[in-house]
Amino acid sequence: MSEPTQSTKFGEEPESPQRRKVLGWLVGVINLLVVGAVIGPVLGFMGGPLARRRESPQWIPVMDESDLPDGSVREVKYAVRVQDGYRIANHEYVVYLKRNGSEVIALDPTCTHLGCRVKYQEEKSRFFCPCHGGVFDAEGKVVSGPPPRALDRHSAKFEGGKVWVKREA
Amino acid sequence: MEQKDLTPESPVVREPEPVTEEERLRRARPGLKDWLELRLGWWGFVRKNLDEPMPPGVGWWQTLGNLVLTLLVFQFVTGIALAMYYSPSPDTAYQSVKHITENVTLGSFVRGLHSYGSSAIMIAIVLHILRTFFWGSYKRPRELTWVVGSVIFMIMLGFSFTGYLLPWDQKAYWATVVGTRIIATVPLVGESLLVLVRGGEEVGALTLTRFYAIHIMLLPAGLIALTGLHLYLVRRHHIAGPVTPVKGRPRPFYPSQLFKDAVVVLVGVGAVVFLAIAMPPGLEGVADPTGTDFAPRPEWYFLGLYELLKIMPPGYEVLATFVIPGIISVGMLILPWLDRSRSRHPGKRQLIIDLAMAVILLIGLCTLKGILETPPPHTPSEASHSAAAPETATMAER
Ligand code: HEM
Ligand code: FES
Repeated sequence: MSEPTQSTKFGEEPESPQRRKVLGWLVGVINLLVVGAVIGPVLGFMGGPLARRRESPQWIPVMDESDLPDGSVREVKYAVRVQDGYRIANHEYVVYLKRNGSEVIALDPTCTHLGCRVKYQEEKSRFFCPCHGGVFDAEGKVVSGPPPRALDRHSAKFEGGKVWVKREA
Repeated sequence: MEQKDLTPESPVVREPEPVTEEERLRRARPGLKDWLELRLGWWGFVRKNLDEPMPPGVGWWQTLGNLVLTLLVFQFVTGIALAMYYSPSPDTAYQSVKHITENVTLGSFVRGLHSYGSSAIMIAIVLHILRTFFWGSYKRPRELTWVVGSVIFMIMLGFSFTGYLLPWDQKAYWATVVGTRIIATVPLVGESLLVLVRGGEEVGALTLTRFYAIHIMLLPAGLIALTGLHLYLVRRHHIAGPVTPVKGRPRPFYPSQLFKDAVVVLVGVGAVVFLAIAMPPGLEGVADPTGTDFAPRPEWYFLGLYELLKIMPPGYEVLATFVIPGIISVGMLILPWLDRSRSRHPGKRQLIIDLAMAVILLIGLCTLKGILETPPPHTPSEASHSAAAPETATMAER
């Protein structure tokens, strides 16, 4: 079966190539406009969170200074009020605080390997990761296992009898 | 012969003898483009559709179907985007819509596209129905094209009814309370149906999740399947020419008809975009089941039904809520078999045309009456008042 050519199948004067070209071009332009009218705004809309400015971190009092004896490590939970999409939420966080005399350090319990939550064991003075056997010392330095670097730190200080923590992004 | 079963595009069939060594290799290992085309036949499919013959006399009126299709795609895209920020619970729905409108990048615009898009699609679909009706396009062999179309239309009404509740503001809540109440007037099973639709005795959390599931899963699934079938049928039976044949020979869909389609799409989409920018969609106070001074009003294309209900004498409400809409729906579904006349010419099917005119007039007048009696929609500045303000605003306008 041979393909019918345009002139046998359709109107007696086949459409001039010129006309086909111009109309085809116009259709293309209109289609671009129409597709752009929906895709542009929708991409901007869905990408909205990218444009959101991170709220700058605040100092937050998390415990009394007297509850943190020298050399000890304590796990503290504290909540921060944050804008969570359409709601204001209390986001709960955990940090480990370690006191060295008049200094305090705040360690993030997120394993630097793949993000599991590490746990401190008092008697061994080590942080253990339950996932792939990562081990950190009481200062957060890697002792063994796959973690590539020490535990992340947040800012921490003593002031007015309290321990204050400021989360770094 | 075995080779005859291959697709016409297959190089084997067109094989010129004798074959050079290079040619033999090329055929054994076609390039990616040829390989894909041999497997998918995509460009063949596109070409076939672009060359679809348009009978002479086909023109602007036949562009409406494509406009509906385009607006449909818009609804899907904007709907998916909105669902990323929306939260279907009485505690959060209103807040999330408010957040979309006020805080999310382009939120008000995308919401506007979706809400004006739903109105535009209704207008386009009704025009499309009117055009296929007056052209008698539902007649043999296109009965099923019409029937599938009619079901699609009902799905569209379902979309609008369920979507209207989602913002969970006063307007949404009360329109749904009243709208679902209508279901209870169905004889015998009405009360049970009401509980089924509401997901409980009252409009509440379960109504919202139910409507949401229907709006974003059930109806889209049905609509996609039926729209696919509709388009398949449209192509299978080709477009019907004018009722009185016009002299001349068919022309291909591309470029003339496609160009007309594109122009109409541009106008339709342009109108939606313009409205979304010029009149951003509002939001009233959060739904308040205890409010007594809020005048419920449905989406404008349900106003006809609403007015019909108002003019019914007491005790005969079921006529407006169930009997008349039921008769019109069934009549629409079986139209191809109600009208058995051979001719598609409106003059040769006077009875059905008269009947349809009566229905169109009834719906049209009731809708017009409803629109004229409804207070204008709230502007965003009014909507941003405290939760208690909108009811009073409505009262003041009346
Ligand atoms: C999702 C909604 C719909 C889409 C996307 C759609 C799309 C289309 C398209 C693209 C065409 C061919 C061009 C044209 O005639 O405009 C068509 C034809 C047709 N449509 Fe629809 N349509 C829809 C809903 C409906 C409804 C609600 C009805 C009627 C109840 C209907 C009945 C018909 C008929 C009978 C034809 C054949 C016209 C002819 O051959 O002359 N459609 N539709
Ligand atoms: S995540 Fe902690 S060791 Fe892998």
